[in-house]
Amino acid sequence: MSELIQVVDSAQEISGAARRLREIGRLKEIHPQVVLDIFEQWAAALDDRELRKVSGMTFLRLWLRRGNLEPLLLRELGSGVLNGGWWEDGRARLRAFPLGVVGHWPAGNVEIQPILSMTCALLGGNCCLVRVPSGLVCTMQRVMEKLEQVDSKGVMTERIFMASFDHSRTDLHESMAQTVDGAIIWGGEEAVTQVRRLQFPHWARILVFGPRVSAGAMDAATWGDRVERASWCRRIARDVWQFDQQACSSPQTLFLERGEGCDPSEFVEDLREAFDEENRHHPRQQIEPGMTSAISLVRASWLLESEKNRALFPASPDWTILLGENADMPKPTQGRTLTVLVVDDLLKAISKFDGTLQTLGLGVADPEREEAIAKLAGRSGVDRIVKLGRMHVFSSPWDGTELIRPMVRLVRHVASQT
Amino acid sequence: MSTPAEIEQGIERLLQKAPYSVDSEQRHRALLDLLKKELAYACEKNTRFRNFVEHWPADFRDAERIADLPYLPVGVFKSNPPLALVSADHVARTLTSSATTGQTPSRIVLDTATARRMSKGVITIVRDFVGPSRRPYLVVDTPENLAAQTQLGARGAAIQALRSFATEIVCCLGSGQRGNSDPNFSGLNEEKLLACAAKWKDTEVLVYGFTYVIWTELVQPLLRRGVTLNLPNVRVLHSGGWKRLEQQAVTRDVFIDGVAALFGCGPDRIVDYYGMVENVGVIYPDCDQGNKHVPNFAEVIVRDPLTLAPVRAGERGLIQVCSVLPTSFPGFLLLTEDMAEVIGYGDCSCGRKGISFRFSGRAPKAEVRGCGNLDSTRYQPTQWGGVV
Repeated sequence: MSELIQVVDSAQEISGAARRLREIGRLKEIHPQVVLDIFEQWAAALDDRELRKVSGMTFLRLWLRRGNLEPLLLRELGSGVLNGGWWEDGRARLRAFPLGVVGHWPAGNVEIQPILSMTCALLGGNCCLVRVPSGLVCTMQRVMEKLEQVDSKGVMTERIFMASFDHSRTDLHESMAQTVDGAIIWGGEEAVTQVRRLQFPHWARILVFGPRVSAGAMDAATWGDRVERASWCRRIARDVWQFDQQACSSPQTLFLERGEGCDPSEFVEDLREAFDEENRHHPRQQIEPGMTSAISLVRASWLLESEKNRALFPASPDWTILLGENADMPKPTQGRTLTVLVVDDLLKAISKFDGTLQTLGLGVADPEREEAIAKLAGRSGVDRIVKLGRMHVFSSPWDGTELIRPMVRLVRHVASQT
Repeated sequence: MSTPAEIEQGIERLLQKAPYSVDSEQRHRALLDLLKKELAYACEKNTRFRNFVEHWPADFRDAERIADLPYLPVGVFKSNPPLALVSADHVARTLTSSATTGQTPSRIVLDTATARRMSKGVITIVRDFVGPSRRPYLVVDTPENLAAQTQLGARGAAIQALRSFATEIVCCLGSGQRGNSDPNFSGLNEEKLLACAAKWKDTEVLVYGFTYVIWTELVQPLLRRGVTLNLPNVRVLHSGGWKRLEQQAVTRDVFIDGVAALFGCGPDRIVDYYGMVENVGVIYPDCDQGNKHVPNFAEVIVRDPLTLAPVRAGERGLIQVCSVLPTSFPGFLLLTEDMAEVIGYGDCSCGRKGISFRFSGRAPKAEVRGCGNLDSTRYQPTQWGGVV
């Protein structure tokens, strides 16, 4: 195993690693241009046949590109950030300084999340203490080996300590929490609540992502368009398949606004083809038996609930489309199960959102209507409104908050002689 | 509308034969034909069930294998009102599953005909394992579970299913709370038990109890004090799963050794069986090879969780139970949440025909993972009633 992922068994190992990271952070500033250069090379190195199979790897490579990260830095930290020095702010000057050591608690279900989380803190000049979920250790090892290859002087890798330990080791979580200046926490309600309960230093900044769900919405002009419909369905299938529908940005429900002469049955037939096609390209390699039971149950329960409900699914648990009429989002099943709900008015359905909804994927023909939908969605707690097919594009802000700035201190200097 | 005569006759024909006597191919043909008729009947009786069947990826009328017929997951019987094929005035009894705390139990409605077939099915199977004679029946439970009730739990149903083997019935536990290990029991009526043991010393005795009840309420307290019953001709049937005992680190071997020591019998006299209220009239006792078998009027398909296709011998998967016995609810073809390993599809060396399998535990419930794990709403708890 690479030295970058350590199997940790004692609190001392964690506190020792944090001490070393803090020392490195204090002694060695890292220029944003250096970070961007290394990330650019890392992105190229990740174009590897084996790593391409990792869910989200294509996205990670794009994420790490300078063309993606530079605008992000500029937007969050201002135009002066790229020269690494101070920039004018009226009669004062500002400069971004790292918080110090940032702890990362990524979720176990998104393979590239430890890297995404870590890069946000590294861009701010921080050092990172990352708890790698046990199921992601092998993937992380391969990804970090690529970083080691491109970072021959170790200027980046020396700022990272990746720790692997059982999720039940409260003592090690506790030790990690006590040694960090900031924390980025991802995952479901239980995981997030447990990590938030840890004793962080009073100055530590805590950034929490999750738990959320996502949905899609289409107006009749879009989903009723027989020419473009297949292409929209492929986008939706892509959004459902990525991260196996377990990400907070994965659509669980799709709202279709009723329209004159538009038949939802035709739409779900196209969707079926898109799901079949996506499944051919990305078949499941494994499934928990409990998920198979849950998929079987939601299929049957949906059809038994009302004679008006429809469903499309193969004999296997590969995918499921449930079609009905209701503005209330059902409990998510995941497992590539998309509930398609026909509603009279998208605005009415969106007005029922309560803040649990993170991303709204849209397919709306009329820009004025989209404007109204976006405004209402924002007021109803939605944090991201994007085009269907781009629901997982990780960008700032995410969950309504910036990604780099929260782990950075903006120091204000008013010169004493002015 | 009553059950069509051809369905009734078909079920009776299968019930009349020795339960494990029909060869696989012949049984498959008979069951497939009957199950198709029952599915058609159920579609006529329940429009929502018909909606489910019509959306199945393949038309059941064209199916050439039982494995291709539409099956329901057992979880659908947690609905209220219960999923039924008879009107409320034809319901003779409602069975409820033994749901663990906080869970919704399954509710199964029985009309008179299904209840009668249920008894007959269980008797036919048990007779094959313990013989046909009537004998004293010791129930390791409370007398309340023997009472005629319109609502009956899983324990009560299992206890009552064996009463036709009884010359006399003795329940050795009292009910009500008295601060012992299980708040449902007030403890063992030891005096009565010892008197019965002395009286039945040389006779065949049938004992039934839930596995964890036998262990915690009978075996543990008596063996701890060195009490034994000296009933070598006993047959101890137990069911209900191992979860609670596994939590106490009691293995099968420890359980069998303890029960055998208490009764003074051989370990072969203790029979564990798998069953569930949704699969009325069918139980799956272990044979002397440690395998479970399927009677003529039923079938078991073990499905690969990844594909839902039947697994090969030696592989594990989700258990689907199939039975022609119920006509008051659509319980013909049910995907359970339990796992099993298929030992073989040929005949077992115990002499029973058809599939042999071994139960391997409950499939852990799938958690809605990561960011999708929502247990509460954030802003307005009164909205989105469907999200929990």
